[in-house]
Amino acid sequence: MRAAIRCHLLVITALLLGTLGGCATPPPADDADAVAEFKETNDPIEPTNRAIYAFNDGLDTVIMQPAARAYRFVVPPPVRAGIHNVLSNLGTPAQLGNDMLEGKPRRAGDTTMRFLINTTVGVLGVFDVAKDWGYPDHDADFGMTLGLWGLPEGPFLFLPVFGPSNPRDAVGMGVNAAMDPFTWVGQGTAVRVLDWSRFGINALDQRERHLDDVENIKKTALDPYATFRSLYRQHRQARIEDVRNDTRATIPVWFPQSGTRGNVTYSPAVSPAY
Amino acid sequence: MPNRRTLLVLTAASLLPAAGRLVQPAFAQAAGGASAFVKSIGERLVAVVNGPGSNREKREKLAQIVNSDVDVDGVARFCLGRFWRNASPEQQQSYTQLFHHVLVNNITAKVGEYQGVRFTMGRTQKRDENEVVSTIVERPNSPPTNVEWIISNASGAPKVVDVIAEGTSLRLTQRSDYASYLSHNNNSIDALINAMRQQVDQAG
Repeated sequence: MRAAIRCHLLVITALLLGTLGGCATPPPADDADAVAEFKETNDPIEPTNRAIYAFNDGLDTVIMQPAARAYRFVVPPPVRAGIHNVLSNLGTPAQLGNDMLEGKPRRAGDTTMRFLINTTVGVLGVFDVAKDWGYPDHDADFGMTLGLWGLPEGPFLFLPVFGPSNPRDAVGMGVNAAMDPFTWVGQGTAVRVLDWSRFGINALDQRERHLDDVENIKKTALDPYATFRSLYRQHRQARIEDVRNDTRATIPVWFPQSGTRGNVTYSPAVSPAY
Repeated sequence: MPNRRTLLVLTAASLLPAAGRLVQPAFAQAAGGASAFVKSIGERLVAVVNGPGSNREKREKLAQIVNSDVDVDGVARFCLGRFWRNASPEQQQSYTQLFHHVLVNNITAKVGEYQGVRFTMGRTQKRDENEVVSTIVERPNSPPTNVEWIISNASGAPKVVDVIAEGTSLRLTQRSDYASYLSHNNNSIDALINAMRQQVDQAG
């Protein structure tokens, strides 16, 4: 019963976002394997999600994909890399905030150094000099922060325009936008045009980077929606595990080290549960 | 009760160093083996991808590597999940056969994308019964990707049982694809087999 109510709430939310849909039918309770699978899939509003997926896919086919192909065709790779670096550099303030909220001083240090180095030596972020100087980039957003704090992801959601998500990451996306100082800086037409240009170019940059992957998945998957759902979940979980496993010590190397804390330990992402 | 547990712990503790001495060299050798195994696969894959020859020739060479070094039958069984038990022996056989083709096709489809690929070896760890070999795969114009190779020695010889790219498992993703397809086609294994056959036919 409670599951049904939760489902209806989700559908109402989806309806408010302007789409039609319904709830997935749970399998009969006596089929234990099927019930376990249904729970593991955790996609109670699958029909609604699939409708939004179809809508997004249409938008993508008509607008984003051709735009991204044109972008790839017209703009040479080094320029695209520069544009990507500038966008990434603009994102560092929110990234730093999340590094701190995650309680990862070394990550926060990396982000700070990246911003300082790339904004100056890297000419306003065009060149990622910091990476070569030992400060590699990492992912940090408020959805990941919430995940690290122990908030479960919740049921799968496919958001119009934004794509695969879940309640945790959807809230995280909103908070992350609020954490971005550029959301609050200035007003007037010029600023709005700049904000929207950044949003548009960012979408183009992201889409171009995934042109081959997405095409491959659509070609090879029997059910692309289910494949994207699985990939999104695994990817988010792996990014959160990356943060959790980043236990580099904050003691500088020249300082007398005590016990095991002195060792720089690195463990790669834990694989998803089998 | 506590006494018995203490005894157990003591016995285990006294046996541990001896066991450790016995196990350690064997494990070290196995770990080196897994790493060398992945290095060899990686080198052969890179040689095929970056090497000369038509796509057809490359496909042949990739199929050879996949069939000799990947536990394709095991992966196929894993990807069918709970439906494997319900499948008839004939269904299992034709599914597994098709799975071989699908896997090779999926890898071949990526050859163009991976032109100019390079890889560097990372560390080897033990996870459950398997060994995990980390590598970093670099392609031109793409950020480096962390790829983990899950190696099983269950059959006596090392075999790849999964590849995890940036935290996403190949076989887990494939299994959810099949599971979803089956649940939208009345759990009919024949429907899945037909769909796979179509995929293979289309790829030629």
